[in-house]
Amino acid sequence: MKGRKLISGTLRLALIFAVICGVVYPVVVTGIGQALFPYQANGDLAQLGNATVGSYLIGQSVNNSPYLFHVRNDSASGVDPDITVASALAQALVIHNTTNISIAYLDGLIHNNTQYSMFFFGTAFVNALSLNIQIIDHFHNSIAVYAKIYNMLNDH
Amino acid sequence: MIGTGYLLITALVWATIIALSWGLSKYLKKVYKNEKTFLDKLLNPFENVIYRILGIDRDKGMDWKEYFLSLFMFSVFTVAISFIVLTFQGMLPLNPMKFHGMSWSLAFNTAMSISSNTNLQHYNGGSTLSYLGQMVGIQFLQFTSAASGIAVAVAIFRGFAGKRGGDRNLGNFYTDMVRTMTRVLLPLTLLLSLILIGLGVPQSLSGYSLVRTLSGSFELIKVGPVSSLVSIMQLGTNGGGYYGANSAYPFQNPNPLTNYIELGAMMLIPTSMLFLFGLMLDKKGEGRTILIASYGLYAIDLAIALIPNTGLGPGMETRFGGFSPVLYTVTTTAFTTGSVNTALAAMHPLVILAAFLGMMIQATPGGAGVGAMYMLMYVMITVFIVGLMAGRTPEYLGAKISAKDVELAIVAFLSHPIIILVPTVLAYALGAVHAIGLGNGPVGFTEILYEYTSAAANNGSDFLGSSGNTVFFNVSTGIVMWAGRFIPILIMLAISGRMYDKKRSPEVALRTDDLIFPAILIFSIIILAVLTFFPFLAVGPILMHLEGIGNAL
Repeated sequence: MKGRKLISGTLRLALIFAVICGVVYPVVVTGIGQALFPYQANGDLAQLGNATVGSYLIGQSVNNSPYLFHVRNDSASGVDPDITVASALAQALVIHNTTNISIAYLDGLIHNNTQYSMFFFGTAFVNALSLNIQIIDHFHNSIAVYAKIYNMLNDH
Repeated sequence: MIGTGYLLITALVWATIIALSWGLSKYLKKVYKNEKTFLDKLLNPFENVIYRILGIDRDKGMDWKEYFLSLFMFSVFTVAISFIVLTFQGMLPLNPMKFHGMSWSLAFNTAMSISSNTNLQHYNGGSTLSYLGQMVGIQFLQFTSAASGIAVAVAIFRGFAGKRGGDRNLGNFYTDMVRTMTRVLLPLTLLLSLILIGLGVPQSLSGYSLVRTLSGSFELIKVGPVSSLVSIMQLGTNGGGYYGANSAYPFQNPNPLTNYIELGAMMLIPTSMLFLFGLMLDKKGEGRTILIASYGLYAIDLAIALIPNTGLGPGMETRFGGFSPVLYTVTTTAFTTGSVNTALAAMHPLVILAAFLGMMIQATPGGAGVGAMYMLMYVMITVFIVGLMAGRTPEYLGAKISAKDVELAIVAFLSHPIIILVPTVLAYALGAVHAIGLGNGPVGFTEILYEYTSAAANNGSDFLGSSGNTVFFNVSTGIVMWAGRFIPILIMLAISGRMYDKKRSPEVALRTDDLIFPAILIFSIIILAVLTFFPFLAVGPILMHLEGIGNAL
């Protein structure tokens, strides 16, 4: 009798928690999260023109393009979206050489997007996708390679 | 030498968490002493429904055997529910990505892992688990294992407080579990989930979406109920992430601010439990003693890890720089959480050595609830050693400590090295190590020793990841994780039951609430850990360091 009570009590407790913690709680959090922070809750999606081209949080490979900033492929996640400012400045030179966009513009862009691993010191980094989208957005009317990318993603 | 800015940030995190934990511990005392709190009006009707469904006598005090049996049976049922969901997720709802079920050995390993608060992951959640698998297969067990760790610690505290603590025996398992869930874990996780969503962690049930990237290729955006899982996995010191790369994956930990919030979240409940011990005994000094000892050991761990002072490199995430991964790795092992924000293979051998120490001691301050339990185990052993040296009967909290009590504490202590070292040797002897492509050198040995240490300590960080998904490693670590969870809990509940019955004398032979005892405690814990594990660390991370191997990458 005591054994049966132990089994029925603990089994019921497990089932109740499975419903509350496994279903009700995540669904409620999803509802409130989607209502309060729809942009973040759906993964910080990045737009170029009218097209969704990725998530700002997920680094994307750009196939060695000399016109765009490259992410690292040796990080822990494999999708690190950020590069160090030192790396970005070096890559800016390549982009300047292939597109003639001024160094001052590129350096300014990097400067305006810089963040730090320890909030106000530590490793200085920038989001590569954010830089790429801002460049394409700004130059797709004047530079052919960027027009090509813009049109590929926006023509249906 | 590490920069002052880094140390200041670390000190700020510690100070914030210790202050918040003090506040939380006062609330926890009310919860477990059944006193009035501000949530009563809201929660009482809700809890009454739960008690009615359970059909139990919620005021009945349980002795240690009944408390343990209830916990154990409950855990078996939670594993069964999770196992079924993980195995059959392919046929169940909330599977927009059409993932198949897990193999039996992987589902067994996963359910044993999450239910024991370990969260060793031989699976990659983001690319193999349905939403229901993440929610009921994983998240549900993260709640129940955290709650049961806290409940066990509270039961043990009641035993140590004894009859004058005013509790009926060790308390009621059902009441402790229900109140932990409704009054502690759910409110805290709800709050943390929403903060993390606001800072960029996704929370969605609408399926992965396919987008065309700037280079014209296609990419899956793997969003899901991530924030709700991350908040319990950190607060509950579980550590099992939504994604294979855990908190290195940007959706799980998008920026430096979420990184430090997630870091602090895993420290909150274990630290509160140390204060709660003093509050439940009505002897704040005793809580302070175990707090100083735990944080003293944590500081020693961190000091070892910061010696090499390497910067950002391969296997790390740019946004966290070179310092945060070291602090995170030490903290996640010191609190036996096991989430990581870097590849462990990127860490210097001395950081790995510090990680080993955290997992071998398990009380620096250790996991939610169980960390305080392990610290009491060390207190029993230390009181005995000091008693021997002073030539008098050992006492703790006014109760005489008998030979039987000390024997039990030592069995609990020794169970840890046994369940680490025996399977490590077996894994080599049976060829399981070579089968996954690891060699006999210090790097391979470090990775295998780490696997079983992490499993036994219910930590969950690992080098192997999904390469550990073989029947041998799934089954052996599955067993080790439950042994590492329930053997010490069984023994410490037994000791606590014995403490409850003991006569207490008002005179104090050995003061344990001053500033000398914590120092003795730290010293004795280090001696115990070093004597037990040094030979194995010597041929692992220490040899790697001496051979000049910077890290496993």
